[in-house]
Amino acid sequence: MTPIECLFKAVIDGDAKTARIVTADALQAGVPALDLVMEGMMPAMDEAGRRFECSEFFVPELLLSARAMKSALELIRPILAQTGAKPAGRVAVGTVRGDLHDIGKNLVSAMLEGAGFEVVDLGVNVAAEKFIDAVRTKDVKIVAMSALLTTTMESMRTTIEAFRTAGLRDQVRILVGGAPVTQRFADEIGADGYSASAPGAVLLARKAMSGTA
Amino acid sequence: MTDNVRVELQPMGRTLGVRRGCPLQDVLFAQGVEFPCGGHGRCRGCRVRLLAGSLPVTPEDARLLSPADTADGWRLACRARAVGDLTIELAQWEAAILADDTVLSFVPRSGLGIAVDLGTTTLAAQLLDLRTGCVLAVRTALNDQARHGADIMSRIGFAMQGGGRRELTRVIRDQIRGLAAALVADAGGAARADPVADVVIVGNTAMHHLFADLDVGPLSRFPFEPEDDGLLSFSADALGWSLPGNPRVRFLPCLGGFVGSDLLAGLLATRLHESDEPAALVDLGTNGEIVVGNRGRMLCASTAAGPAFEGARVSMGMRAVTGAISEVRVRDGRMHCRVLGDVAPRGLCGSGLVDAVAAGLDLGRIDPTGRLSHGDALELAPPVALRQADIRELQLAKAAIAAGLRILLEQWGARPDQLARLHLAGAFGNYINRASARRIGLLDFPDATVLPSGNTALLGAKLVLLGAPDDDGTFATLRSRVRHVSLGEDARFQDIFVDEMRFPQPTP
Repeated sequence: MTPIECLFKAVIDGDAKTARIVTADALQAGVPALDLVMEGMMPAMDEAGRRFECSEFFVPELLLSARAMKSALELIRPILAQTGAKPAGRVAVGTVRGDLHDIGKNLVSAMLEGAGFEVVDLGVNVAAEKFIDAVRTKDVKIVAMSALLTTTMESMRTTIEAFRTAGLRDQVRILVGGAPVTQRFADEIGADGYSASAPGAVLLARKAMSGTA
Repeated sequence: MTDNVRVELQPMGRTLGVRRGCPLQDVLFAQGVEFPCGGHGRCRGCRVRLLAGSLPVTPEDARLLSPADTADGWRLACRARAVGDLTIELAQWEAAILADDTVLSFVPRSGLGIAVDLGTTTLAAQLLDLRTGCVLAVRTALNDQARHGADIMSRIGFAMQGGGRRELTRVIRDQIRGLAAALVADAGGAARADPVADVVIVGNTAMHHLFADLDVGPLSRFPFEPEDDGLLSFSADALGWSLPGNPRVRFLPCLGGFVGSDLLAGLLATRLHESDEPAALVDLGTNGEIVVGNRGRMLCASTAAGPAFEGARVSMGMRAVTGAISEVRVRDGRMHCRVLGDVAPRGLCGSGLVDAVAAGLDLGRIDPTGRLSHGDALELAPPVALRQADIRELQLAKAAIAAGLRILLEQWGARPDQLARLHLAGAFGNYINRASARRIGLLDFPDATVLPSGNTALLGAKLVLLGAPDDDGTFATLRSRVRHVSLGEDARFQDIFVDEMRFPQPTP
């Protein structure tokens, strides 16, 4: 197997240790950092996402793949920064105010990172002001909100309203997701996109960057 | 011979038409009778007395009952089948409280009492003679609020819009008033002349608030702490219930967070709060509720297990009623299913789901990540099959309980092997197979530690009714010894939760 194939397999297998070792070896052997990302890591996370979508993977497997991907990315990111490679876009991700569930949000973060986005993770119980602040100060183009409770998904509505009040609504694409959220709810509150799954969020983010969402 | 036989139940005088040969357990379970050992002929909790018709003496009857008792017509309901018309008397309701080893501070007084277990999904209510402690009538019903949301959070969501809260309060007060009237009518005869002296209701914190028309807003968002979760006391008249005698109606106080008086009552019923050794009480409902501790101090928590244990969100899931696969066993490398009511299978209830997944793991048809080894479904008994998504639902449910229990034990300061007893509350607890629960990693404890304890909420409510009538019911001392742990705020909860989603490797 080539180093890129080894990285691909380690990420799918959720083997963080191997992912880190093969990445370090590959970089030492002169494999371009961008190739490791574009041909190893990203296809691997796409494949993990596909397996998750068809129920072959469950939450633990997808999280393990994400962990393996991140351990490789830690080595690659500084090199990418030196070469001036641009991320696919910068996304602020958070679980909305009143809600502490972070598994879904972490999956979305991992899938976005795996797809080459730079993720600003705002954590859980995130107030509208915090999302707005990220857009103001961190050059964030996309905001992705998660909620797991029917009672807390209303915070998505208030956050979007807060963006309007702040006069920033046009400068950001807002994506929503989480167990109780539906396309209808997303339309009703004026979100730009909704996905029922973490891998689906990547497609939305890509569309948002190309201005089609 | 016709296919149906009649089973008449005393003392309520209710007559049921059932399929000939149907296990009595299936008939009686639907009537609120409990099977403390899970219906395996190991205890005497479900014994009935034959008044007319015939029931052969089984080996379990002979082992657990004296020759005089069997001659007198006593049988274990869990071992009997309705092969012909029968009239039976239910011992459990004659002395429901006085389980063989329960020491009870029973203070006889005049009048009737009503105990209500108000669940998010189901209600169970019993009418008691406060002079004797005997159960005179039993009623169960589905919570009428359910049309406004099946789970607690959607119910709270409904309560927070417009007149939702008032509507939910009205619906549940009406329903309990109706149940109370029906119980008194069921009892008939002399009992009907007696006034109702006392009503005790238990339920989780959301039910507590919605009964009292309290603001559920604080329960809807972090930190999920109720503002007022103490004892509620009303007069029947104030509630608009015209019950003879205008009894007081009490909704017992909550333990903390979403953990309500159903668990407080569970402590009284299991006497966990008097235990020297660490013990646990686990209620496997949609909202899994857990207490860990001993007489000194206790911790409680609730964990969103989802409705898989009640058969919901499972493709062929159903409640534990006729037609549900309730047990799956592996024999000679093949799965064998038991169907409630001895009819063609229609679906899978919670205990059947746990068994089916345990069997799938043992047969290598499901791997430790929860994935089916081939195809998207595991056939159980046509047309019932277990789908991949069903296994995922169970993984979420069992991980929520296992993670909650693990964290409470750690915070309390006990290792899992130091737990002396684990009381499993609720009807599902009576039916679940302990080996299967261990196999899937839901309750990783030895069989002897896990004690199916029946409806401990209703039992505890009855203990309060039968106790000293001047006890104010605030339970201040007991409540001060229980601390609520918010699992969501424990940084490790989500990691442990994900960790517990996997199934344990087979033990050699």
